[in-house]
Amino acid sequence: MSVALQAPPLKRTGAHAIDAVDLGVQYSLRFTKKTTLRQSFMQMFSREPLEPFWALRGVSFNLVRGESLGVIGPNGAGKSTLLQVLAGIIQPSEGAVEVHGHVSSLLTLGAGFDSELSGTDNILLAGAFLGLPDAVVRDLMPSIIEFADLGRFIDAPLKTYSSGMRARLGFAIATSVDPDILLLDEVLATGDADFRDKSKARVIELVKAAKGIVLVTHDMGWVTEYCNRAILLEQGRVIHEGDPADTVKIHVERSAQRKAERAAQLGTAAI
Amino acid sequence: MLPFAAMSTTSEVPAEFRHAAARPGPLRLLGEALEDIFSRRRLVGYLVRADIKKKGADTFLGNLWWVVDPLLQMLVYVIFVSIIFQRPTPDYPLFVLAAILPWKWFTSSLNDATTSVTGQGSLIRQIQFPKIVLPMAATSAAVVGFAFSVIPLLGVMLLYADRITPHLLLIPVVAAVQFLFTLGAGFIVAAVNVFFRDLGNVLRHFLRLWFYLSPGLYSLQMVEQSGVFAERPYLLTILKLNPFATLFEAFRAVIYGDPLTGPHLPDFGALAALAVASLVLIAIGSVVFKRLEPMYAKVL
Repeated sequence: MSVALQAPPLKRTGAHAIDAVDLGVQYSLRFTKKTTLRQSFMQMFSREPLEPFWALRGVSFNLVRGESLGVIGPNGAGKSTLLQVLAGIIQPSEGAVEVHGHVSSLLTLGAGFDSELSGTDNILLAGAFLGLPDAVVRDLMPSIIEFADLGRFIDAPLKTYSSGMRARLGFAIATSVDPDILLLDEVLATGDADFRDKSKARVIELVKAAKGIVLVTHDMGWVTEYCNRAILLEQGRVIHEGDPADTVKIHVERSAQRKAERAAQLGTAAI
Repeated sequence: MLPFAAMSTTSEVPAEFRHAAARPGPLRLLGEALEDIFSRRRLVGYLVRADIKKKGADTFLGNLWWVVDPLLQMLVYVIFVSIIFQRPTPDYPLFVLAAILPWKWFTSSLNDATTSVTGQGSLIRQIQFPKIVLPMAATSAAVVGFAFSVIPLLGVMLLYADRITPHLLLIPVVAAVQFLFTLGAGFIVAAVNVFFRDLGNVLRHFLRLWFYLSPGLYSLQMVEQSGVFAERPYLLTILKLNPFATLFEAFRAVIYGDPLTGPHLPDFGALAALAVASLVLIAIGSVVFKRLEPMYAKVL
């Protein structure tokens, strides 16, 4: 499946799983969270112009097939927004993105689960949400159950699960669908040590199987160890792209610098 | 490896192609909506099943409420109306129940559709899927509730056995028309509620007013005979244009019928007109829903 969000093709290079050119995502603050009629009326009559907020701006990169790309940056840098655009959840406000291949995007694992349904029913439901044919999901069922290692709980309602169990089930579903491109958002920290090792092994397996991976994480060890390339995002813009070790180094330096600046500001304020 | 290769292409992208989110026309959106629902019919099925499981699970009497609730509501209206009106309508409990059941179905469908998209906010932010399956599933699940309400209807009908006629078999036909109307309205309220969260509050009062303005507790014939609109006949016309005037009258025709002579055939012409209007509403509703769909993930 090829998801082309723009009519004219950019640059048909078969080696690229993702081509992102000058990507921008704008949030209009008019319709942000939980607008009530009152607020809308107030907005209508208020003279203050609405500031558009750019969660991402001018982001260009590509993902080569078989590559594992790490996306790092401070909180609110636009990392998750970038994954949402790649997954097709959010349409870019400007620029274009071309994604070649089937994308699996359980960004935070366990979304879409229904706590009243059993593990088995949730696998079927999640599969249907991901757009997989029912026969495929039923075929995958045994391997998902085995990987999630839920034992008898697989037939119990999800509300009886621990958060670790939910995360395991989510990870098992997300990675069992055999996607061409896997989008992972901060998922490797979930579960106990055993499962962390297991999920690490699974991600490495997927990387080796020449599938593209875009990984958002705060775990710098992962980035340097398992990513071929990394992008540093800050305030929606690409600060650095390149070798994971270099990118992590820049990120750490800049974070330390920001921290020092903040401390200095607080210090002067105190005086 | 040339990590900055893509950057150099930036200036080559013509300005008019910058907005990757193209705006397809209404017909295209309608086609997409139909395809979404058809290709994800199994997802709709799973969602309906989950919904039914959930509704029965969280109360003591569970699904039994689908039977008890309309009977209690019928009792309230019967007591209420028989005090106000001096000249009671024969077999009035059945008269009222014939309107309560479809109305309860309509309001629960609309309430569930309203929250169907907003209630799945976390999912919408994380998985790309056709959102139109959500109001579709919500309105479909409510059909099961209506099907269950046939039980109290049959129970009450046993008390008025002389009104049991083959006309009852036409209930699904009238219900089908109501479903089409509900579906179209459901798409619209589901989409609008994403942007205006107080729609549910507004709707609650709007629906109450709508019910009293619809010939449910009374019939159109009673309104005509009472002569309240004798000087303003256009008000009567407006009253008849209400979709629930057609639906209540049709349900009443096949369940209760004439106060004296019993059930009869519904006004098929009016039902057909409403069915056509409902299909137009579905088309408008799905275009509105699809037009706003790209914004859901950002707003929720």
